[in-house]
Amino acid sequence: MGLSSGSNASEAVKLCVFDLRRGQNEGQELDKILFFYPADLPFTTQLSVIGLSEGLITFTRIFSPEAACDVIEAEMHSHVFYEAEPDIWMVMVVEKNKESEAMWRIDALRRVLKEVHTLFVMFHGSIRELVDKEPTGGLVRTHLYYFIMDYLSDFFIGKKLHLPNFRDSLKERGTVQMLTVGREVAIDVQSLVRVIESCAENSKCYSLTMFQDLLVSTTLSPDDTVSLFTYAVLRLTPQALSSGVSSWSYLRKGSTACNTSAGAVMANSCPSVDQYYNSGDTSPVGNRSYPVVRPLQNDKWSKGKDGFLVTDIWGAEFGSSIPTSPTIWLKQTEERMYLCAYQLRSLTVILLIPVSSVLNGEQGIAMVKQQILENASLKMFKVEEKLSRGWGGENAYHVSGYRYLLVDGDRYVSRASPPGKVTTLTKDSLVALSNLREEVDSERIRANSDGLSHEKDLEICIRAKNNAWLIARLTRGKELYMVLEKANETLLYASDAVMKFSDRYCNGAFSLE
Amino acid sequence: MHISIAMPSESSSDNDDQNPNAILSPNSDSMDLSLDAIENQLESISMTSQAETRSSNQQEEQLTIPNGLLNEESRSEVVDEFEEELSNSNTKAGLSSERQKKRRHLLVPVAAGMQAREGAVMVPPVWLMRRLTMIQFARLGTMEFRVLRSSGFPGNVTFNEDDASISWRKRKKHFFILSHSGKPIYARYGDEHKLAGFSATLQAIISFVENGGDRVKVVRAWETPTLEHLGKIAVIGWNDLQIRSLHVVFLVKGPIYLVCISCTEEPYESLRGQLELLYCQMILILTKSLNRCFEKNPKFDMTPLLGGTDAVFSSLIHSFGWNPATFLHAYTCLPLAYATRQTAGAILQDITDSGILFAILMCRHKVISLCGAQKASLHPDDMLLLSNFVMSSESFRTSESFSPICLPRYNPMAFLYAYVHYFDVDTYLILLTTSSDAFYHLKDCRIRIEDVLLESNVLSEVQRSMLDGGMHVEDLPIDPASRTGTMFSHPGQPRPATDSPDRIGDAFFGIGGPAGLWHFIYRSIYLDQYVSSEFSSPINSLRQKKRLFRAYQKLYASMHDKGIGPHKTQFRRDENYVLLCWVTEDFELYAAFDPLADKALAIKTCNRVCQWIKDVENENFLLGASPFSW
Repeated sequence: MGLSSGSNASEAVKLCVFDLRRGQNEGQELDKILFFYPADLPFTTQLSVIGLSEGLITFTRIFSPEAACDVIEAEMHSHVFYEAEPDIWMVMVVEKNKESEAMWRIDALRRVLKEVHTLFVMFHGSIRELVDKEPTGGLVRTHLYYFIMDYLSDFFIGKKLHLPNFRDSLKERGTVQMLTVGREVAIDVQSLVRVIESCAENSKCYSLTMFQDLLVSTTLSPDDTVSLFTYAVLRLTPQALSSGVSSWSYLRKGSTACNTSAGAVMANSCPSVDQYYNSGDTSPVGNRSYPVVRPLQNDKWSKGKDGFLVTDIWGAEFGSSIPTSPTIWLKQTEERMYLCAYQLRSLTVILLIPVSSVLNGEQGIAMVKQQILENASLKMFKVEEKLSRGWGGENAYHVSGYRYLLVDGDRYVSRASPPGKVTTLTKDSLVALSNLREEVDSERIRANSDGLSHEKDLEICIRAKNNAWLIARLTRGKELYMVLEKANETLLYASDAVMKFSDRYCNGAFSLE
Repeated sequence: MHISIAMPSESSSDNDDQNPNAILSPNSDSMDLSLDAIENQLESISMTSQAETRSSNQQEEQLTIPNGLLNEESRSEVVDEFEEELSNSNTKAGLSSERQKKRRHLLVPVAAGMQAREGAVMVPPVWLMRRLTMIQFARLGTMEFRVLRSSGFPGNVTFNEDDASISWRKRKKHFFILSHSGKPIYARYGDEHKLAGFSATLQAIISFVENGGDRVKVVRAWETPTLEHLGKIAVIGWNDLQIRSLHVVFLVKGPIYLVCISCTEEPYESLRGQLELLYCQMILILTKSLNRCFEKNPKFDMTPLLGGTDAVFSSLIHSFGWNPATFLHAYTCLPLAYATRQTAGAILQDITDSGILFAILMCRHKVISLCGAQKASLHPDDMLLLSNFVMSSESFRTSESFSPICLPRYNPMAFLYAYVHYFDVDTYLILLTTSSDAFYHLKDCRIRIEDVLLESNVLSEVQRSMLDGGMHVEDLPIDPASRTGTMFSHPGQPRPATDSPDRIGDAFFGIGGPAGLWHFIYRSIYLDQYVSSEFSSPINSLRQKKRLFRAYQKLYASMHDKGIGPHKTQFRRDENYVLLCWVTEDFELYAAFDPLADKALAIKTCNRVCQWIKDVENENFLLGASPFSW
């Protein structure tokens, strides 16, 4: 249970992180490995995965020095590559199996790798920095181990790791989902944001406001917004707090929180992690343990009496029982920020205060919190009330007859049919859509590498064998995917349906006929 | 033209440096029939002077598209494909002349003494086969022996390139054939032997994955230029690098490994299909019984067996860039008046009753007519590979030939015997039989066929059709019912020129402008045949033709999605085209329009195209006459 990575858990998935700059000499190959799941796989197996990956990275560079190896497709497995940082690679190996629904879209899997890396960087800084900080690798390995295992715990259903498959074709990881609000509420939200951000006096603060699992406002850059939003949905929103598991993904519904006890982690991980050092004579680290913060640990956040969310993940100040405030790195400003989250019913407001501007640590934060309570309580109450009144429930963005996904690639925003509605689609339609998306992904990547992502204009309408219409549209950085199962048989009818949708829900973005 | 046979002795299969310049005089009366004597003789015979002259003219040859092998559009495609190669032509000056000589002669292994039983001929191991071949040729005595000379195709002539050369690495599409022990068998670019190390790497990748209980299909890489990379490019001089993506596709066929490394953006399914065809082309030359050689000796060196067949592989690889048959798995017919094709079909039918398995009359890559013995059916892929083999081997043009070939889709284990004769520069007859001593019978058949074809003007009709071309989108009738229902008003009457004013009026009235139909391909599923319109404005340049070809290829792969396909309809609009594909039980239609085409008009136009094709199907398809199983 929990972080147990026994081979019975799932050998169908392997995930590794390795550093090509390490372990250059023969016999020291193990040194390359920074993380491997399942950790109890024999080293020879781990090395063979990394050996093949490294071999092919080198091989493809013979022909295209600037090309990053992207995927290896074998009959039974897909190996998905992601170069997270220069020379630091993440590789995921998934088994393919039609019967167990193990049909994958490569970009969807890569986005999992990307997400875990982005979150890691937000909390711990870059992997390279950690490697450089302690060249034996113990520090980075420990951090990666806890972080990735905590992250993966959300994908477990029972003992099996369930990664996004073809059933998630109408979803886009790495994007935020927004709440549409009326003008009046928008003004209220704006005024709330101003008040909140001024609570820390002269320092430049940022904020992110959410209603349920949806974004209401942000003053962060799109990159940072995605990271913080993702974390909030995973661990901070009322849904995440109440169940210990987020509800925004139906994939995770029903999965129980993994009771990750530190003991279990140590028992499972340390022997294998430390073996790297014990086996090699290069490192004197031995069983040295590293202090590690585990921001993705489950059930560690709760709502305090004052409405602020509290956690002991970051430990407590020496000689005090007051938990240390969490901190994160902002990508845009390259600054470490205190994370201060307030929750009122469905409303969650996150304020980020530069660490450098708070001179007296926790005391300073406590003062900011006090300010928020004094100055913004009423506003938050009002905003929450208005948003709740206007909220249409979990099917708020359902459009009858349509199953869709709309992505704005520039702002990393997406909106989709509610998961409950997507499940009504047949398996054939979803598989066909997944394949269509795979095709569009290549076109999109190509357009991006040409720097032409905005010029790329693509329209594909397919009538599948089961008579469903599958539609993909790419225009000016926006994407629309759609499945129409009950549409008429003519192409014109299907196009017309897309146009109506576009006019009504996308400001006519896809209506250029 | 000289007729000769070049045949390395058996031992040369293990020693590539041995003198390959062996010519066996066909009319040698004093031929000793013992195996040893033949081998001795082979070793002592030297190369003819013609080959020497040819190799000295190699530079010019590279600029020439050989043999009238490809039709007009394909010629241009090839030129396009070779732009990069031509730029490197200077580097080829220092080629080893030995190597060139060897390359320029094709050994056609001929099997003999094999009993034909229901069309299936079991073949002895290759070495024995080759010995028997010699006896066979000796016994035939007066029959023509031949050397299939490389037709100057610039495919694999860049011998001084290897995997260390930047020029080699920059080539857009590599093909490799290697043995499971990593021995190079064929490389499109560079000298196989210099590529031994590279070949071993490919083998290592395949076996590494195989050892893990899996089989590698494709490795893909995307170019993602970063600032750091840009710095590197400036240093190493890759600044003109245009690669966007890289596909490395693997195909394992028993002891034979095939690999394609491509930056052409073609989908995996297409590249894999091309490797399948490449493999089948090899089987066509050697039969699948070569597997046994590997069973006996895993380090068996196959290169001598394929010596000189570079032109065959090169021309096949070129056809991957222009011939829709390579992905449609269908063949195309030369447009002919119904009666003309009937006449040709009738005489072919006549002769197939006399123990001939297949009789095929072709003009370049297009079928004029074909007939098969009862219950025998010819797969379109076999036809593609067979016609490629015949057209890319120059010696077939110079005389009537009798050569063992294998039809991989018909029976991959057995040799058939092909009698090939060119009636004119483009039109040729292939007669296939299971009997190794049917040469004179087939020759007689050919004479009968030739007489009929000449008498009934079929050959001149063929020439005229070649000049006129096939269907032109400008001719698409506004109302199909109002047309005569024929492309040929009546046989013997010249068709109106395609650029005559009234035709253009017809063409653009009601279709023109944004709804403009640019091109189409129609594939009849039951007939395994397709018809493709001629390229019309604005698809004029080589680049545009190739781009459209690749777009069709991608559309085909997308429609025939494995597992859940085929889809029924697809509409696809990008910056280059509107493409419409319509798949029914009877046919598949692929049509390209102006990117601004109106959907409703495009659909209407597709319906009219289908009706039009139906109206003129008698001229464009080979119908009913053949007793094929389809």
